[in-house]
Amino acid sequence: MLRVRLSAFLALLVLVLAACGQPAPSPAPTQAGGETPGATSAAALRVAMIIAQGGLGDQSYNDLANEGLTRAEQEFGIEAQRVESPDIVSQGEAVLRQAGTADFDVVIDLEWSTAEALTVIAPEFADTRWTFMNFPVNGDNVTSFVFAEHEGSYLAGALAALVTSDTAIPGINPEKVIGVIGGTKSTGIDKFLVGFIQGARDVDPDVEVLTSYTNDFGDAAKGQQAAEAMFEQGADIVFQVAGGAGLGVIQAAADAGVYAIGVDTDQSSIAPAAVLTSMIKRTDLAVYESVKRAIEGTLSGGETVNLDLAAGGVELGTIHPSVPQEYLDRVDELRQQIVSGQIKVWNVIEQGYPDFLSE
Amino acid sequence: MSVHASAERVARPRVVGGHLERTLWTLVPFGAALLAGALVLLLSGRDPLVTYALLVEQAFGGHIAIGNTLAQTTPVLFTGLATALAFRAGVFNVGVEGSLYLGAFAAAWVGFTFVGAPGPLLLLGAFGTAGLAGAAWSFLPGLLRARWRVDEVVTTLMLNFVAINLTSYLVNGPFLAVGTANSMSPLVDPAARLGSLIPPSQVSIGFVLALGMALGFGVVFGFTALGYELRVSGTSPRFAAASGISIFRVIVVAMLISGLIAGIAGAVQVLGVNGRFIDRFSPGYGFTGIAAALLGRNTALGCVLAALFFGALSNGSAMMQLFTDIPLDLVNVLSGTVMIFAVLDVARLRPRRLREAG
Repeated sequence: MLRVRLSAFLALLVLVLAACGQPAPSPAPTQAGGETPGATSAAALRVAMIIAQGGLGDQSYNDLANEGLTRAEQEFGIEAQRVESPDIVSQGEAVLRQAGTADFDVVIDLEWSTAEALTVIAPEFADTRWTFMNFPVNGDNVTSFVFAEHEGSYLAGALAALVTSDTAIPGINPEKVIGVIGGTKSTGIDKFLVGFIQGARDVDPDVEVLTSYTNDFGDAAKGQQAAEAMFEQGADIVFQVAGGAGLGVIQAAADAGVYAIGVDTDQSSIAPAAVLTSMIKRTDLAVYESVKRAIEGTLSGGETVNLDLAAGGVELGTIHPSVPQEYLDRVDELRQQIVSGQIKVWNVIEQGYPDFLSE
Repeated sequence: MSVHASAERVARPRVVGGHLERTLWTLVPFGAALLAGALVLLLSGRDPLVTYALLVEQAFGGHIAIGNTLAQTTPVLFTGLATALAFRAGVFNVGVEGSLYLGAFAAAWVGFTFVGAPGPLLLLGAFGTAGLAGAAWSFLPGLLRARWRVDEVVTTLMLNFVAINLTSYLVNGPFLAVGTANSMSPLVDPAARLGSLIPPSQVSIGFVLALGMALGFGVVFGFTALGYELRVSGTSPRFAAASGISIFRVIVVAMLISGLIAGIAGAVQVLGVNGRFIDRFSPGYGFTGIAAALLGRNTALGCVLAALFFGALSNGSAMMQLFTDIPLDLVNVLSGTVMIFAVLDVARLRPRRLREAG
C-alpha cells in the first residue's frame, strides 16, 4: 500500500517537475505559415530557423524573430521550418549540421550558444547561407546581424533627461537624476549604458545618471531591489537592460509611481502607466532581411550587417502619453542627427570605454 | 547466512518462468505512449504512421543520427542510474538535477582554470572535482534523512533550486566569460574536451563511460555486499537493521554515490558536449532521470533502455522539425504519457499468478 501511494506521489512529482522544466507550451508555431497555399512562387526558398533558449511563446526575442519569419513567409511564399527544443543548448550543433545536410538554402540561428559550432559547420556546407544574431561570426557564407543598441539607447537617454527635468509630468521629482540597470558588467551590456548616458548628457549636462548591475538576467526580485535603491537616491526614470531581471525594474517603477524604460521589445504593455518608452531591437527585421536578401541574391555572407537607427534596426517603442510633443520633436531631431552622422554615439564594443564610464 | 538468504527471497524472488512475460509488461508504457501520441496526431490532422516513421528515421537513420541520439541518451542514463541507485536503497533522491549542476560547474571550473595542464591530469581533475561536488551536494540531505529522518524528497527537491541558482550566480558574476552578455563560463581547455565517438555527431566517449557506469551498477547490485545491503535496506529496512546492517550508513552512502554519478553526468555534458558551463543548461536531465529509473524498474538494463527511449525522442523530435511542421507539444505528450504509465506500475494490474511470481 505504501508503495502504491509512493508511486502515485512520484508520478505526480515527475509530471510537475517535467512541466516546470518545459518552457510554457507555445501556441502551435507552425499554423501561421506552414503550407501556405501561395507557396508556389518562384522563390521556392527553403529556410530553417533555430529557436533559441526560452522557446516560442517567450513574448520576447524568439517571438519577435518568428514574426519576421512569418512575415517573410506570407510575402515571399517561402517554405520555412522552425526547430524548437528544450535542450537546444546541447542539440544546437547537431541541428545546425542536420540543416546543412538537408540542403536548406538559408539557416537562421537565433541560439547564441552555438556561435563556435557555427564557425565549424558553415564552411562544411558551402551552399547554405547561415545567419547569426547579435554578434559577428566569421565565415564566407555567414551573415551576422548586429544592432546599434548604443544609438537606440542614446535616444532613450535623451528622452529620459528631457522628462526628468519637467516636474509638470506626473511622478517626476525636482531632482535631475535618472538611472540605468544592466544585467551584468560586460561590453555587450555597457554598449547600452554608454549610449544612454551620452544621450542624457548631450541633452542636459546637469543630469546625473546612476548605474548598477543586477548580476542576473532572470531574477526579477534583483531588478526590483536595484531599481528601488535608485528611486531612493532621487531617480525617477530607470532604463533596464537586464532581461528577466528587468521586469522587476518595471514592476518597481509601477509600484513607486515613477518610470522605467523597457528593452528589446516594446514593453509598454507590461505596465502602460510606468513604461516611459522601450529601446526596441528589431530581431524580426533581421530575420525578414535574411530571407529578403537571400531571394534577391545579396545574402552573400562574410558580412556583418549593422542594423542601426538609419536601417530601422533599433527604435523607441510606444512613448508614454504624458510626454509633451516638444520633447518628441527634440528626440526626433536627435534621431535625424544620428542618422545623418552629425552625432556619433560611442560604441563600447568597437571603441572601448569612454571616460564617463569605468571599465 | 541462512537469515540473509531468506531475506533475499523476500526481497526479490527469482522465478524464471515469468521473466519474459514480466519484460513484456514493462513495454506497456511505451505502447500506451505511442497510442496516446497517435491520437493527438490524428486529432491534429496528421498521419501518425508517417510521423512516427519520420521520428524513427531522424533518431536512428544513419550513424550521425544514432550518434546524436546516444548523445541525448548519455545524460539521462547517468541521472537514471543515479536515481535508481538511491531508489533501490529506499532513499527517494529527487536532487540529481542539483548535483548535476554542481558537477557541471566544477568540471568547467577545472577546465577553464588550469588551462595548459596536461590533458589526462585535467580530465582526471575535472571528473574528480565534479564527482566530489555532486556527492557533497547530496551529502547534507542524506545526513538529515539518516540522522533525523528529515524527508529527503523535500530537501533534495529544494536543493535543486539552490544549485541551479547558485551556479547561475557564478556564471552571471565571478565566472562570467569576459566580453559576453550571455551567462556562461569561459570555454574549457581543449585538452579537457572529450572526443566524439562517432564524428561528426555529438556523442562523446562519455557515452561509453555511462555504459560502464550501468555495468558497474549491475555488478554492484548483483554481486557485492554493498549492493546487497543497499537492496535489503531499501526493501525491508527493519529486517536489514535487525540483521546488523547500519541503515544510517546505507542511506548516507547511497546518497553520496547517487550524487557522485550525477556530478559525473554534469562533467560529461560540459566536457563532452557544451565545452563550457552555460546557465540553466539542463532541460531537466535529473527529472527525466527519475522517469528513466522508474521506467527501467531501477535496473541497469532498464535504465539503459529507458534512457535510449528518451534520447531518441529528444533527438528525433528536434530533427524532424526540419522536415515537417510538428509541434513540440507532441513530444511532451509522448514523454508525459510514458511517465504516467511508468509510475503507475503496470505490474500491479497484471494477472495474479504473475504478480506472485514477480
